[in-house]
Amino acid sequence: MKTSVRRLAVALGVLGLALAMAVGVGAAGFPEKPIQLIVHAAAGGGSDIFARTLAAANDKEKFFPQPIVVENKPGGSGAIAFAYVAGKKGDPYFLLTAVTSLITTPMMRKAPYGLKDFTPIANFAVDEYMLMVKADSRFKTMKDVIAFAKANPKKVTVGGTQLGSSDSVCAYLIEQQAGIQLNYVVFNSGGEVNAALLGGHVDLAVSNPGEALELAKAKKIRNLGVYSEQRLAGAPDVPTMREQGLDALYVQNRGLVAPGGIPADARKVLEAGLQKYTQGATFKKYMDDNMLSVAWMDGPSFGAWLEKEHGRYQQILKVMGLLK
Amino acid sequence: MDIYASLLHGFQVALSPQNLLFCLIGVTLGTLIGVLPGIGPTTGVAILIPVTFGLNATTAVITMAGVYYGAMYGGSTTSILINVPGESASVMTTLDGYQMAKQGRAGVALGMAAISSFIAGTFAIVMLSLIAPPLANFALAFGPPEYFALTFMGLTMVTSLSGESLLKGIMSGVFGLIIACVGVDAISGAERFTLGNIYLLDGFGFIGVAVGLFAVAEVFVNLEKAEEQVFVKTELKLKSLFPNRQDWKDSLLPIGRSSLLGFFVGVLPGAGATIASFMAYALEKKLSRHPEKFGTGAIEGVAAPEGANNAAAGGAMVPLLTLGIPGSGTTAVLLGAFLIHGLKPGPLLFQSSPDFVWGVIASMYIGNVLLLILNLPLVGLWASLLRVPYTILMPLIVTISAVGVFATDNNIFDMWVMFGFGVIGYLMRKLEFPAAPAVLGLVLGPLVERSLRQSLTISHGDLSIFVTRPISAVLIAFAFLSLLAPVVRAVWQTSRERRGEAHS
Repeated sequence: MKTSVRRLAVALGVLGLALAMAVGVGAAGFPEKPIQLIVHAAAGGGSDIFARTLAAANDKEKFFPQPIVVENKPGGSGAIAFAYVAGKKGDPYFLLTAVTSLITTPMMRKAPYGLKDFTPIANFAVDEYMLMVKADSRFKTMKDVIAFAKANPKKVTVGGTQLGSSDSVCAYLIEQQAGIQLNYVVFNSGGEVNAALLGGHVDLAVSNPGEALELAKAKKIRNLGVYSEQRLAGAPDVPTMREQGLDALYVQNRGLVAPGGIPADARKVLEAGLQKYTQGATFKKYMDDNMLSVAWMDGPSFGAWLEKEHGRYQQILKVMGLLK
Repeated sequence: MDIYASLLHGFQVALSPQNLLFCLIGVTLGTLIGVLPGIGPTTGVAILIPVTFGLNATTAVITMAGVYYGAMYGGSTTSILINVPGESASVMTTLDGYQMAKQGRAGVALGMAAISSFIAGTFAIVMLSLIAPPLANFALAFGPPEYFALTFMGLTMVTSLSGESLLKGIMSGVFGLIIACVGVDAISGAERFTLGNIYLLDGFGFIGVAVGLFAVAEVFVNLEKAEEQVFVKTELKLKSLFPNRQDWKDSLLPIGRSSLLGFFVGVLPGAGATIASFMAYALEKKLSRHPEKFGTGAIEGVAAPEGANNAAAGGAMVPLLTLGIPGSGTTAVLLGAFLIHGLKPGPLLFQSSPDFVWGVIASMYIGNVLLLILNLPLVGLWASLLRVPYTILMPLIVTISAVGVFATDNNIFDMWVMFGFGVIGYLMRKLEFPAAPAVLGLVLGPLVERSLRQSLTISHGDLSIFVTRPISAVLIAFAFLSLLAPVVRAVWQTSRERRGEAHS
């Protein structure tokens, strides 16, 4: 009798210890090896800078006990990277840069994967957009643009990148809100668009504050409006589109997602670590240098935001004739 | 502060022990990256971004710029030795460089490539430091119609890349244009010839196609030959490693011309070193008194493209530093590096960060000298590589090519593209189709198409936009001249022969 009680106690003890160990592994075990951060665009672009800044900050500030390894998988407006990470179902050791193309590319390419194949981890920031003209342009305000475009349909040219891109949506929002028709000219890169604007080959172009404000300071261009709810702190003299009677809001987000179906505790660890990153000095400097606005969202709220934007894009891209 | 004072100040910055050391590290890495096929300067600079995090901005960019123009030096090495273009701007160097290597003149070709690179690179930096701001305005004058005229003129160069049969050259060029159509059409968003394959959404990777057509095809051709063959049987003497008096005489003018041409093409955002090297080669062939020697080991055929691509690398720094506009993939990465280091690229950079701008410019002078010192002694070493027997060298070429092509985008599909085009290249060689026009079509095709459609969007379909603008009109006229020149010459020759017959 005595021995059996003792046995039971020992057994319970072992069981308890095992349980404690199991829980311990679950909570503190992840990550046990380096985390791979897949960048959906080529080296040197906005997403690449974001990813490499994050990886370098982790080396210094150690918000994860394991290093983050950055790998670029560019191509097909992100399609190659998205398909790759979607295929890593359940593996929390993969992260993927998530900007607007995560929503638009699968939509336009009729891909077999979509938002459901990714676990939203966090959103960090948003990049604002501004509409600019050359310094000596006849357009002083959005009213001038609209008045001229109404009198001369399709005569105002706007430079931008591939249809479906952020700048094409920004141009479309003006057309839709003002009831005008612009002449959209597609260039290969944002740099080429800016060159065409400065050379007077196109009338309008859309750009992020980082570039737009620097060009404005040099008196090469003027900013006619910003696609935000309120004027930007760094550019108090640039009116919003709303102030000028156009309900045109647009931002590009900078977030991270993981493959679908990863363990819940791993998601929590990732989210917590990344939140810690946003409180560090590297992140603050990154935000300032790139003139981004802080927009922290945890996994669930980022997921909800993505869903909402998904609905909005479905509408916009359909009207633009980009969805079949 | 005038330019000379600024430049002098720049040298003070660039000559600090730390900056000098990192400049050396940069150009050495650049040479290595250039030598390895696939891993081009863009990837090389990008890899360095996180590594240079802890450095100050000037030192970091001095290192990365060193990688950029260093890669232009190194790219010629494998082009000449084993017909593998080290990066896209070195494709043209394979045409005559490899032939020279086969004739036992690899050392001369490598030496001339380094010297030409040095002269052209230095010329570009002098121009950059003296007249960068007015040059930026020249670059901005190029709108879509001008780009169309320039690239259209480039396409007419197919006539000078054709070799024996003009018809076969044109067929090869058209093949390149067709290959260039694959991928998502940027303007309509439609997929063209992608067969539902996501890896084809951006079309065939240029490096995979070029390495396939040149390097892998070369290996296949050599598979047919006897086993113990060695590249160069002749003993390599030190004297035979360096260009002789005749080589110098043949090369000096081409180097001068391609420096100018390369620099101006490099300044244009959207053109770049690859196109500059094509144009320089074609120009020299047109101006040469013995154009038939091109493609059989003419030294000008090495000096011209190597000079042009280095000058273009310097030229691409002009819009980057004066306007914050990247003119090439590599300068786009450099722009990213500026941002990471807290610099604000744009028209105010010269005023807001003079230490940085002039320090980087001065370091480029130093870097070019370092590269020459570094590369000339290596010539002998590289050339002796050719004494390795084929049975070892050929598998090595395939391995290096495959690894390099994979590394471009970390994509295994690109490797299959390389082997596929290796087979195509082999068949083209057997049927005596030249490969260079195909590569020309692949490079220029997207540019011609995009600028044509941009121009017609702006003009609402009116073709007169190409002839009513002066720069565009002149370039279009040149294009037609170069197209018609062979025809006119042929007609003139036959009529003279007839007259000759009539007289006798």
